[in-house]
Amino acid sequence: MQTDNAQKIFIAGQLQRAQDNVDQLIASGAQSVVLDFSACTFISVDGLEWLEEMLLRADSSKAQVRFVSIPPSIYKVFKVARIDSIMRACGAPNTDKHSQSC
Amino acid sequence: MTATTNKEQDQILMERANHYMRQARLAAAVFTQYSQEDVDRIVKAMTQVAIENAPMLAQMAHEETRMGVTEDKILKNLVASEFLYHQIKDKKSVGVIQEFPELNLVEMAEPMGVIFAMSPVTNPTSTVIFKSICAAKTRNSIIFSAHLMAADSSNTAAKMLYEAALAAGAPKGFISWVDKSSRLRRLSELMMTHPEVDLIFATGGTQMVKAAYSSGKPALGVGSGNTPVYVHSSANVPSAAMEIIISKTFDNGTECPSEQTLIIDRAISDEIMAEFKRNGCYICTPDEVKMVADAVIDSRTGGMNYRLVGQPADLILKNAGIDSGSDRPTKVVLCPLEGELRHHPLAVEKLMPVLGYVFVDSVDEGINRSLDINYAGGTGHTAGIFAEDENVIERFTTAINAGRIIVNSPSSIGGLGGVYNHLNTTLSFGCGTGGGNITTDNVGIKNLINFKRVPRRKNFLTTFSTTRNIYINPGSIDQLKTLKCSSAFVITSPTASRRGHLAMVQERLPENCHVEVFSDLGPEPEFETIQRAIVALRKAKADTIIALGGGSVLDAAKLVRLFYDYPDLDLDQIAVSFLDFNHRMQVFPKEMKTQLVAIPTTSGTGSEVTPYSVLKQGKRKISLVDECLLPDVAIIDANLTRSLPQSITVDTAFDALTHGLEALVSTFASDYTDGLALESLRLIFEALPEILKNPQSVLYRHKLHNAATLAGMAIGNASVGINHAMAHAVGARFDIPHGRANAAFLLSTIAYNSRVPTKFVSIPCYPLWIADRKYARAAHFIGLNEKQERQDLSYEKDEAYRIRLITSLAQAIYDLGRLAGIPLSVGELGIDPEVYLESLPELTETAMRDLSLRTNPGYALPTEVAQLFFEALPIRQRPE
Repeated sequence: MQTDNAQKIFIAGQLQRAQDNVDQLIASGAQSVVLDFSACTFISVDGLEWLEEMLLRADSSKAQVRFVSIPPSIYKVFKVARIDSIMRACGAPNTDKHSQSC
Repeated sequence: MTATTNKEQDQILMERANHYMRQARLAAAVFTQYSQEDVDRIVKAMTQVAIENAPMLAQMAHEETRMGVTEDKILKNLVASEFLYHQIKDKKSVGVIQEFPELNLVEMAEPMGVIFAMSPVTNPTSTVIFKSICAAKTRNSIIFSAHLMAADSSNTAAKMLYEAALAAGAPKGFISWVDKSSRLRRLSELMMTHPEVDLIFATGGTQMVKAAYSSGKPALGVGSGNTPVYVHSSANVPSAAMEIIISKTFDNGTECPSEQTLIIDRAISDEIMAEFKRNGCYICTPDEVKMVADAVIDSRTGGMNYRLVGQPADLILKNAGIDSGSDRPTKVVLCPLEGELRHHPLAVEKLMPVLGYVFVDSVDEGINRSLDINYAGGTGHTAGIFAEDENVIERFTTAINAGRIIVNSPSSIGGLGGVYNHLNTTLSFGCGTGGGNITTDNVGIKNLINFKRVPRRKNFLTTFSTTRNIYINPGSIDQLKTLKCSSAFVITSPTASRRGHLAMVQERLPENCHVEVFSDLGPEPEFETIQRAIVALRKAKADTIIALGGGSVLDAAKLVRLFYDYPDLDLDQIAVSFLDFNHRMQVFPKEMKTQLVAIPTTSGTGSEVTPYSVLKQGKRKISLVDECLLPDVAIIDANLTRSLPQSITVDTAFDALTHGLEALVSTFASDYTDGLALESLRLIFEALPEILKNPQSVLYRHKLHNAATLAGMAIGNASVGINHAMAHAVGARFDIPHGRANAAFLLSTIAYNSRVPTKFVSIPCYPLWIADRKYARAAHFIGLNEKQERQDLSYEKDEAYRIRLITSLAQAIYDLGRLAGIPLSVGELGIDPEVYLESLPELTETAMRDLSLRTNPGYALPTEVAQLFFEALPIRQRPE
């Protein structure tokens, strides 16, 4: 799914592991990817680790990944996890681990 | 490359620490999504595995540490799993965990996050089982750092429980353990201060607990004890002896709540020592005590010799060079501690079956020797008592400083909780500040939760009360004929007597009623005058007080009755100010004994229906407030006001007008008081101009009299505001009649209260500032609204219209004041302006202390009050 110039992908249900469609999109050279979490109900430790690793790959390939429509229960997981790259994808303005955005 | 420097070695350790912390952090994050059902399923699975493996883990712990008794370690593992589960299985630990409907409050659970936990060598597996299950129940991640001598068994327990939890759906990595290595201790130090650690949960030796508390992290650190146990002469001696043996031999004494020194009443000394001996204990001679002390106490530190911790009694005797002379195993080595107990080397914690004892000759001595042990390294931890005498138990528990004081039970297993008593099951014993800890709890799940309190706005109690019987028509004074009283005491002023009112009352009282009169009450009397009236009343022994006069007389009569009925009351105490009527500290009588009939002869204060009494004390006025001050009967007979001079009629009418306006905008205003206040205003604007034209008009006197009473009911429940605070100050300072003083500040009060306050009042019954709307409503109600062609105009929505209405109200008050000839500013009161200006600081201070200020719709700041006093000086101009 495409939104403006960004490729938008919905993360639906439980994010328990890597999402192949996202990985493929980044591998294909997409420059702007939006992950919509509005239908996401749960994130596991593996899911978190994949998000972090995926963002690292995206960063290496100069692709921008943004997280949007994040339910509070999921956003709280991101806040407690304190992963800098994930907070940046949520729109945090800097690398300060305690800064808030979204 | 080989790490050669400490810095390089620390760097490697820090990388390992980061790894442990990262997985714990992610697990903690994921755990926030788990429901109560998820958590309970995980806890159940963990408990099951712990119960199934309790013997194996106990065996492993014993073999690794060479301490304690396998059978007892099995029991500890079961306490940490089965008993703990029984206590927590139905407890809520997710979302709303407790509701307090009566307080409109709920408590919710928030996980603490990442817990760094240390486990001791004495309880290596049971502590890990206990902390793991508690962490799961509270949705926290936990990283274990075991004692080096017990790391294999501790880590095995952690791994077993983690795998069971994982299979039940727990987040990956929520339990982890630091692998055994020679650098384990240094790694633990680094982890204690790691930024990802949210809580340190330390159980173990004093040094380790101290390190936890010094880390700068929130810590639950529970350390060593030194348990005194007092055996009183009322105890069941054979049972006490057996339970002490059970306790002290439990896991060879490794439990820190276990008995360390017995304090025994001499009266039962022979009996109990015989029991100990009969049951296989060895009682040392004084010479042997020194040999035992040399063996079990490290002479360099004064603490116990760690090589003998958890070792059997016979091994300890052997190490001390003592032959028990018995072929059966020794259970406990008992050592009489002679000499100064506080300096005895064995009066310390000994986690082995070595037990000191002393004999005492009284309860006082027993408690004092117990305190000697209690305050020798075990403050806040555990103590025990065997006694059947409840008085002795109470004295002992009052004196001793211990988080758990075990009564008639083994202190070690008793301290664990859940087995012998209903204490929370634990393997971590909080010692409070006595032990340098933050809690005296048997630490458990509630200590691993961040409690979120969600208080809902409390329902503010609003009541409406007034005088029970009110007779309101002209001629209603005839009601006195039916009054039930045998002895009446009339309190009145010389004026009432002159105007014939006193005679009207006396003529109407029942024939057989004895009547005494106190007519010395002038305007605004001091307390001394009231005291004289009380003395006269006591002589009269009346059952009814009749207050006949203006506000001062009625207010004074309320106090006369109060102190007549309750002579022990202290004026200074009942006059203490308060912020909230529902929380004030003063206690007034619930019921009055003497009947109070109030007959107002002016149309102003409304005192006949208020719970107030204003008293002049020197240069200030104090207000007393309580329902017990309400008269029982009010007679509102306008005939008594027909002869009222114009100046008093006007002054008192403006007092009533001020009451209506202040009650309307008060923070305590309600629909009930609003109706009364509005109608009182309407009646005043209707009646006063007519009375000025025809002072004898009963019809308009009646309306004005009713207006004053209605306004009195309004302020009796909604109170007044800044206008009264300022008027009280000026009135007391310059002897200005109350209504006249009120009128001087009326227009400036409306202007001040119509503006959005500089500071809002924080009072729960006033959630929205609406004073400007209330003034506009008053203007609208008394007919100052604009012509009906503008049907769409609404003062609620249209601010400009609202302002016009408020101005109209102020103009109407100005016009009425000018018509009545009442001063509308301080400058018109005849006060010397220079003296007035000099008095401003004093007036401001007095007004700021006035109770009336509490219910003003805006929080009046001292600078604002001072400014209002200042601005009230010039001759008042008609508001534009």
